[in-house]
Amino acid sequence: MSEIVKKEDRSPARYRPATDILEREDGFHIFIDLPGVSRENLHIDLQDDELTVRGRTILTPGQNERFSEMQFGECEYVRSISITDIVDRDKIKANLVGGVLELHLPKVEKVLPRKIEITAG
Amino acid sequence: MVIDFNTLYHFPSRLDRVFEEFFKSPMGDDRRLAYPPLNLSNDDENIYVRAELPGVELADVELTLSDKTLVLKGERAAPQGKYYRQERQSGVFHRVVNIAVPVDRDKVKAVMTDGILTVTLPKAEDVKPRSINIEIA
Repeated sequence: MSEIVKKEDRSPARYRPATDILEREDGFHIFIDLPGVSRENLHIDLQDDELTVRGRTILTPGQNERFSEMQFGECEYVRSISITDIVDRDKIKANLVGGVLELHLPKVEKVLPRKIEITAG
Repeated sequence: MVIDFNTLYHFPSRLDRVFEEFFKSPMGDDRRLAYPPLNLSNDDENIYVRAELPGVELADVELTLSDKTLVLKGERAAPQGKYYRQERQSGVFHRVVNIAVPVDRDKVKAVMTDGILTVTLPKAEDVKPRSINIEIA
């Protein structure tokens, strides 16, 4: 009994998913390959300056299915990306389409020069 | 800059990588051999060919079935912009799968779900397992 429980508790293999980071006029774009990950199994967290993406694949083969070759399987994708102050954290957008997560990180609006009043002491 | 500093500056992520190496799946090495990675399986009714093709539309994949092979061809475009990090595969891909069993060509189906292509090839009637009733005299 205890052995069965151990097998069920075993966590799936963990991978760093392939990621592209690029800059365009409207800000930064991050593309992360997450094949087999549905929206329900994807979690994105932003804590301080670290953005963490976690996605899990769940494959459901048929009851009588026999595998002769298996080059991918159930796994957990985890990727952390450090972001800096020039990103507007409130406007980060995420879109998962066809197994690719696209994150759009717009830059903060430029701080306008201000005139500082000098008061006589 | 906004770039992924993990490899140089971020200690927890480096630790993650150590664990990733430690718990590497037995199929981990195969993933780098050919693109796209494939799973081949079958049951009594069908042969299944599954491929990881994130970001590829079904319309951009060319599937050709000959007597003994299934050819999977296509191209994955790279997004445009100024790159800071590029790890995702792009360009032309081409894989040939040997199908040793005769299939019913007219009923072959291909579906793309969450970046995984599933091609279902129904086995021809004459190769399906049949149960035979034996009457005892």
